[in-house]
Amino acid sequence: MKNRLKVLRAERDWTQAHLARELDVSRQTVNAIETGKYDPSLPLAFSIAALFEQSIEEIFSPEQSNSNRR
Amino acid sequence: MLTAICGDMPERDRRNLNLANVWMLIWLACFGGATWLINGGLIAEGVVGWVVAALPTVVAIGAILAYGRYLREADELQRKIQLQALALGFGVGLFFGFGYRLFERLGAPTASISDASVVIAFFYFVGLWLGRRKYA
Repeated sequence: MKNRLKVLRAERDWTQAHLARELDVSRQTVNAIETGKYDPSLPLAFSIAALFEQSIEEIFSPEQSNSNRR
Repeated sequence: MLTAICGDMPERDRRNLNLANVWMLIWLACFGGATWLINGGLIAEGVVGWVVAALPTVVAIGAILAYGRYLREADELQRKIQLQALALGFGVGLFFGFGYRLFERLGAPTASISDASVVIAFFYFVGLWLGRRKYA
């Protein structure tokens, strides 16, 4: 699954650590999502969408990747 | 030690994991103390001996509950890494336990259940390291 998390974070000039604190997850989780190594759960995806005030579809797109199927 | 392996984490996870680590340290102290007392013949057999022998097991329940709480409340990626590490540790330990019996029949040194525990712990930490590397 592709996502625009890195772009959205960069637009706000946030660090991964800052975003991780906002979402109450580890920085490693933010990094893994941004690099496509990990697809977030639905609750976390909703939290991300709410934080950036966008819909989930605007942030995440269902393009095939290696992430959670490994 | 677990904190070092799991890397950065939310304050909630750090607190829960530290609590589980404290329980583990208490268990180690109780187990070591009970072993020393019993092996050294410093306590008489009977009720006192049974209480001393049971103490590490009672403390272990606290450690298991603390670790379970950490897992339930952990950041979702850390939970996934922990699950994969537990699967590796438990799986290797289980199959080592059964598989090594065949080698024993062929003359290999007899292994005890504590040897399997070491294998489980070793591969659990290998699993944590692999998971951390995979999602780095």
